[in-house]
Amino acid sequence: MADRLVTDIGGTPAGAIPREEREPLFWERQLIATFNVLQQHGVLVIDEIRRTVEEMPKEAYDESTFYGRRVEAVADILIKKGVITAEELEERTREILESGTRDHVR
Amino acid sequence: MFADTVPAFAPGDRVRVVDLGKPGHVRTPFYVREKTGAIEEYCGTFDNPEERGYGRVGLNPIPLYRVRFRQFDLWPDYDGSERDELVLEIYEHWLAAA
Amino acid sequence: MADTNQHPHPHEHGPHPTREDDDLELTAAEAKFLAFKSLLMEKGVVTPAEIQARMAVNQKSGYHHAARMIAKAWTDPAYKARLMDDAKAAAIELGIEVTEAKLVALENTPERHNLVVCTLCSCYPRSLLGEPPAWYVSKAYRSRAVREPRKVLREFGLDFPDSVEIMVHDSNADLRYVVVPMQPEGSEAMTEGELAGLVTRDCVVGAALPTEPNRAPA
Repeated sequence: MADRLVTDIGGTPAGAIPREEREPLFWERQLIATFNVLQQHGVLVIDEIRRTVEEMPKEAYDESTFYGRRVEAVADILIKKGVITAEELEERTREILESGTRDHVR
Repeated sequence: MFADTVPAFAPGDRVRVVDLGKPGHVRTPFYVREKTGAIEEYCGTFDNPEERGYGRVGLNPIPLYRVRFRQFDLWPDYDGSERDELVLEIYEHWLAAA
Repeated sequence: MADTNQHPHPHEHGPHPTREDDDLELTAAEAKFLAFKSLLMEKGVVTPAEIQARMAVNQKSGYHHAARMIAKAWTDPAYKARLMDDAKAAAIELGIEVTEAKLVALENTPERHNLVVCTLCSCYPRSLLGEPPAWYVSKAYRSRAVREPRKVLREFGLDFPDSVEIMVHDSNADLRYVVVPMQPEGSEAMTEGELAGLVTRDCVVGAALPTEPNRAPA
């Protein structure tokens, strides 16, 4: 018997529905567009994103945010497919965080 | 669309969602597994997410149905009207005649 | 810090814009995204122009497209029949570029109110409506809409008697859904454009009813 996927939450108990309006940030819209372009180029399909999210440990899934999951999933797929390496991603991410600004990034 | 596919079920047919116990990427939520409902409509054939989830694209599309359930049949503690229903999409290989 | 007002227009030459809101601190998630985006560009997998172009396309989607379709359905029974038969074709007929495999219109009636959710992720007719509202993708909505829709609807200010069926649609495969609300009472004399103005974003998934038309004082 298979375990229930972490994303398979239909019918599970939950609290109030958060109603605050939250316009996507610029980078979040850019993330969606980047994913769309990767899809257009045949680098990945949405089903792979969903499946990657499903492979998150439950605690990580419960703590995650909508856009956070997308970033992790796309990064994970790009690494698994050899488009980028985990090392170069980690290095570049660290550089950006250390600089604290977005200015130098193309 | 895979035009040659003959759907196994017709609108109105009583069907049970079989729990295939299949690990990995599937789109059949637990809350309808082993529940009985009726075919609402045959949607045609679509790419199989159970393959696409692993990058296996371009395979033969598979038959998909919208299946309709009484909410009281899905939830033992359902709080609402006897009329209330739920409809979702289930691939043919998850369905058995009921 | 860079002043985005001084950046070149995104469609011209110059640095690829990375933000609009200067006040927000860089989060780990954004940093990771910027990292793989820059790597993808260096490797020629994607170009800045492609991303900018796709952002522009995505920005064109919005519930106003669905509002146009619904307003036309309220005033033109033949269009409504086409909408109910094939909502994707009905959208394309109005010049709206819907790219989902199949779009299904769900008609609210005095006997039935429809509510749409994606319990497994966040499926939503994005090419028509744009990105879903935050509440739609929340775990609370995804968990509860299928099991206690009436309680969820009450949270949205809607309360239906038991004589009205609540039909919940879990958008879990390739079909996408758009709810066609009932035309509000007192709106019969309104133009299509005015009617479209009554349709809100949340109406189109069944979490709201259209705005009531303004009534002249008695």
